[in-house]
Amino acid sequence: MQRKVNDVGGLQSAPIDHEEHDPTFYEKRIDAMLMLLTSPKVHAFSVDALRRAIEENTADDYTKRGYYEKWLKAIRQLLIEQGVLSETEIIERIEAIKKRGS
Amino acid sequence: MSDHHADTPKPNFRVGDQVVVKLGPPEAHCRTPTYIRGISGEVVELIGQYHNPSLLAFHKPGLPKAWLYRVRFKQSSIWDQYKGSDLDSVMADLYEHWLTPSKEQ
Repeated sequence: MQRKVNDVGGLQSAPIDHEEHDPTFYEKRIDAMLMLLTSPKVHAFSVDALRRAIEENTADDYTKRGYYEKWLKAIRQLLIEQGVLSETEIIERIEAIKKRGS
Repeated sequence: MSDHHADTPKPNFRVGDQVVVKLGPPEAHCRTPTYIRGISGEVVELIGQYHNPSLLAFHKPGLPKAWLYRVRFKQSSIWDQYKGSDLDSVMADLYEHWLTPSKEQ
């Protein structure tokens, strides 16, 4: 049967790591960004679209990438899909921030 | 969320109906897990009509709304060599397009 990368119920797995950690600044920023983008006032995209973008990861990426990393990749993809930002604008902004050095 | 509209279809199943979950293939943003596909269960609740998540996932309005059912499956019918009680069950909330009538009815 065809199975999506996120659909792991019933599969054999290595022991699950239940170790918790305090949310990092990076994680908090991504969380805040998503809350703002999906708030009723902004509604840049739906949570269903976020899930779809996350589920489009390859099996390898889905396993390797962290929880918030998958959110961030999905946010980037969806903002481009919705015409809020262009790929070029994102790349240029990243370059500008790198030059600025912070 | 579950408000009724004249343009949305009537439900095909009722509480107590035996249904079989389709095998697939899964659509984008599929809400039906693989482990219950092809398994027979009993409709225990009509939860309501909801915007179709697989359409919402592509920035569409999600219409027509889809009927969502709560279906109970016996654990022993899902997992080979299930060792727990025969009364153990699992519930899944499933959209109508994933369900077919069971031949056992």
